[in-house]
Amino acid sequence: MKSARIPAVLMTIGFVLLMASTVAAQLKSPGDVKTGLRLLMQVSNDFKRQITAKNFPRVPREFKEYTESADAVRTAVKDEPADFKAKVETRLKAAVAAYQKVSDISSTTPDADKLMAEHAKAVTAMNALFDLFPPELRPDPNAPAGIRGAPKN
Amino acid sequence: MFAPLLILEGCGRGRTSEQQVVDLYIETDGDFIAFRPDKLTCAAGALVRLTFHHAGRLITVRHNWLLTHADQLEALSKDFSANDGVLSKDDPRVIAATPLCDKGDTVMVQFTAPSPGDYPFLCSTHPEDMRGILHVTK
Repeated sequence: MKSARIPAVLMTIGFVLLMASTVAAQLKSPGDVKTGLRLLMQVSNDFKRQITAKNFPRVPREFKEYTESADAVRTAVKDEPADFKAKVETRLKAAVAAYQKVSDISSTTPDADKLMAEHAKAVTAMNALFDLFPPELRPDPNAPAGIRGAPKN
Repeated sequence: MFAPLLILEGCGRGRTSEQQVVDLYIETDGDFIAFRPDKLTCAAGALVRLTFHHAGRLITVRHNWLLTHADQLEALSKDFSANDGVLSKDDPRVIAATPLCDKGDTVMVQFTAPSPGDYPFLCSTHPEDMRGILHVTK
C-alpha cells in the first residue's frame, strides 16, 4: 500500500515545486527580490553577531542597514499587484519595527540576553515576510554571511 | 565614479627597473559581505597595484581591502570587531591597506609583494566574514 502512494507523493511534490517556480517567474523582478531578502537576512545575522560580541553601540548602525535593505525589497516589488505589495508592506513594517525595538533596547538597556530574546522575535517577523515569497527566492538561514576564504588559525 | 586614492605601502616604496608590476582587481560581491574574487595571485617581490571597487548599490556600509599575515589574522580581526574597524596607521600587522570607501567608489593601494606564501586579506569593518587569500608565488 505504501509503495503505491510513492508516485502520488512524488507527483504532489513536483506539482508544488512547479507552482512555486511559476509564482517566482510571475514576479517582475525575482532577482531583485532575492537580493533584497538576502540583504535582510545578512543584516539580521549582523545584529546577532554584534549582540553576541556585546558591541551594543554598533546595533543602531545595523538597524540603519536593515531599513536600507527593507527599502531594497520595496523597490523590488514596486511593480507587483497592489494587493501583494500591501501584504509585503504590512509584514515588512512589522519586521522593521521588531528590529527597531532591538536597536532601541541596545541603547537604553544593553543586556545581551534580553536583546537576543528580542532578536528572536524580530527573526520571526522577518520569516513571516519571507513566507510571502516562493521558497527559491528566500535566503538560506544556514548560509554563511560571506565567503570565508581565509584559514582560521 | 572612479576616484582612485593611491597609497604607498610595503617594504619597497620605489620601483627597481627589473621589478615586475602586477595589476590586481577586486570588488565587493555587490551589497553582500564578500570579496569577488576571494583569491588573488602575484609573484613575490612584484610591485602590486591593487584596485578595490565597492560594488554595492543599496546599503551605505563602507568597506576596504587589507592584507595581513596568516598568524595575525585572528588577533587583527578581534581588534577590528572591538574598535569598529578603525585601522591604526602604523599597525605592523598590516602589510597593505586601501582606505575605506563608500558604495560605488573605487580606491587603490600599491605595495611590494611579500615573500612566497598565502596571505589573508579582509575588510576591517567586516573582519569575520569578508575575507580572502593572496597567494604569493616564487
